[in-house]
Amino acid sequence: MFLALRELKHAKMRYMLIALIMVLIAWLVLFVSGLAQGLSSDNASSIQNMNADYLIVQKDADHRLTRSTVPEAQLADIRDFAGGSSAAPLGVQMTAVTKAGETKKLDATLFAIETEGMLAPPIAEGRMVDEMARDEAVVDISFKEAGIALGDVLEEQMSGQQLKVVGFTKGQSFSHSPVIHVNFKVWGSIKSAVSRGGTGDGLQYNAVALQAGAAKADQIGESISGIEVITKDQALQGIPGYKEEQGSLLMMVAFLFVIAAFVLAVFFYVITIQKMNQFGVLKAIGASSRYLARNIISQVMTLSVASLAVSIALTYGVAAILPAGMPFDLSPQLVVLCSVLFLAVAVIGSLLSLYRVVKVDAIEAIGRAA
Amino acid sequence: MNDKLRMENVTKVYGDGDISVKVLTEVSLEVNAGEFVAVVGPSGAGKSTFLSIAGALLSPTSGRIALGGEDITELTPPELNQVRLDKIGFVFQSSNLIPYLTVMDQLLLVAKLAKTPRKLAEAKAKELLQRLGLAHRRNHYPDSLSGGERQRVAIARAWMNDPEIILADEPTASLDSDRGRDVVQMLADEVKLHGKAAVMVTHDQRMLDLCDRVVQIEDGKLFE
Repeated sequence: MFLALRELKHAKMRYMLIALIMVLIAWLVLFVSGLAQGLSSDNASSIQNMNADYLIVQKDADHRLTRSTVPEAQLADIRDFAGGSSAAPLGVQMTAVTKAGETKKLDATLFAIETEGMLAPPIAEGRMVDEMARDEAVVDISFKEAGIALGDVLEEQMSGQQLKVVGFTKGQSFSHSPVIHVNFKVWGSIKSAVSRGGTGDGLQYNAVALQAGAAKADQIGESISGIEVITKDQALQGIPGYKEEQGSLLMMVAFLFVIAAFVLAVFFYVITIQKMNQFGVLKAIGASSRYLARNIISQVMTLSVASLAVSIALTYGVAAILPAGMPFDLSPQLVVLCSVLFLAVAVIGSLLSLYRVVKVDAIEAIGRAA
Repeated sequence: MNDKLRMENVTKVYGDGDISVKVLTEVSLEVNAGEFVAVVGPSGAGKSTFLSIAGALLSPTSGRIALGGEDITELTPPELNQVRLDKIGFVFQSSNLIPYLTVMDQLLLVAKLAKTPRKLAEAKAKELLQRLGLAHRRNHYPDSLSGGERQRVAIARAWMNDPEIILADEPTASLDSDRGRDVVQMLADEVKLHGKAAVMVTHDQRMLDLCDRVVQIEDGKLFE
């Protein structure tokens, strides 16, 4: 550290510039990561927060809840294997609603659940839908921003079904739209209104949620034909746009890391080349390669840690003034993960310089008028 | 153990096979404590190679070399590194100070490499700077020093670890003759004061009267 700090202090301008670049890159990394995380939960928090381990969907539905249908009869089969309370049916329908008396449409996704079963979401305000009610719903709290309050009535677009808001949930969204939870009575009447025919063949579900270990899940998957048991993560990937959205953000972050590595590598390489003669002198007066290598590493580390600290502060600062609707969610774990990766990348970037320093021959110092 | 540097039949050959060049041939030299030896000779005669071998920067092709009584012919590069740190003080052609260290830190760096306790190192550095008339320049950077001052700092740095021998590579090359003479005088005084040894490679004839002994290198051979 003796040489490292004194050099940083002496060549402030030079190192400030590189630190500035690192701050900007790290800032962007953190910001995009937070955005990815935020979008991910904005997109699919209902699935992420779902109190289940697996989802059973129709085979060949491509892991998409919205494409899959599981008939009522199959639910009974599944329950035979899994035990009654650890399998719960789920209906998913993307739709739009309007507040009664208004014409403005609001995107929403209907989730039909057994209101006393394991899929019932925690209620943040109001109460849960009654199992027997014919017109009740609990809606995600983001509906409040659209001016929906407890007791308001929403009208479902396809069927004209009236839904009375009796409660609010938190963090329930699917495919970027807030989720409305209803019971299967309401679900049934919406479905029959849409198909305009009888519902003679019983209710159709989109999926069955399952609480079970891997062995049980495999067993069910093999025993019942026409279904597929997928993990929650696979179900997430099956949400339209989820994979593409996360994939492109992840690619940006990956590129930023690569760019950071190269920027650092080039900067320290050029500086090292410039100081070859100096390193020769240092070796001639007895500095070991290890000492000089440690010196470079500690410079890289000092710069990276300082830049990271600044960019973390900047990221949280900007996050604080973002509008509330902006999907941004940066957990401390994610910050730590990004920081560790960033430091690792910085060290990798300095390897080229270390190699040059190790190769410097002390004899460079002799017979040179520098 | 009076000989600080002993070279016996040292030969250095660069390259191999058909294109080998013999730079030093059977060079033998002994430098005793308190002795200040000048090595002169035309360019290309092998002065730099001679100094590099004496300074444990290069290994000889054949022959033996001992520093302060310790044979260093067979040592590995990391061991040679340690030898340079403990036993040799270098003064280079253009002082080669580290640009981002103050005069004081130039000296402390050497102590730090040798893991000398800081208090001790500071006292020693202060004393050296005092003696070489650099006390008032302690917190200056090399770029604000004159050429002579820089060379004096280099001499102070070379003495920092109490080496057996000082090796100077044309220390006066970048100085006018008065300044150069001051610097060499200082080197000579230090050698006498501590009972150490010094070898100076130079082609500056005006400095030779300050040395105890002058040896000549010509075509890789050494003459007394």
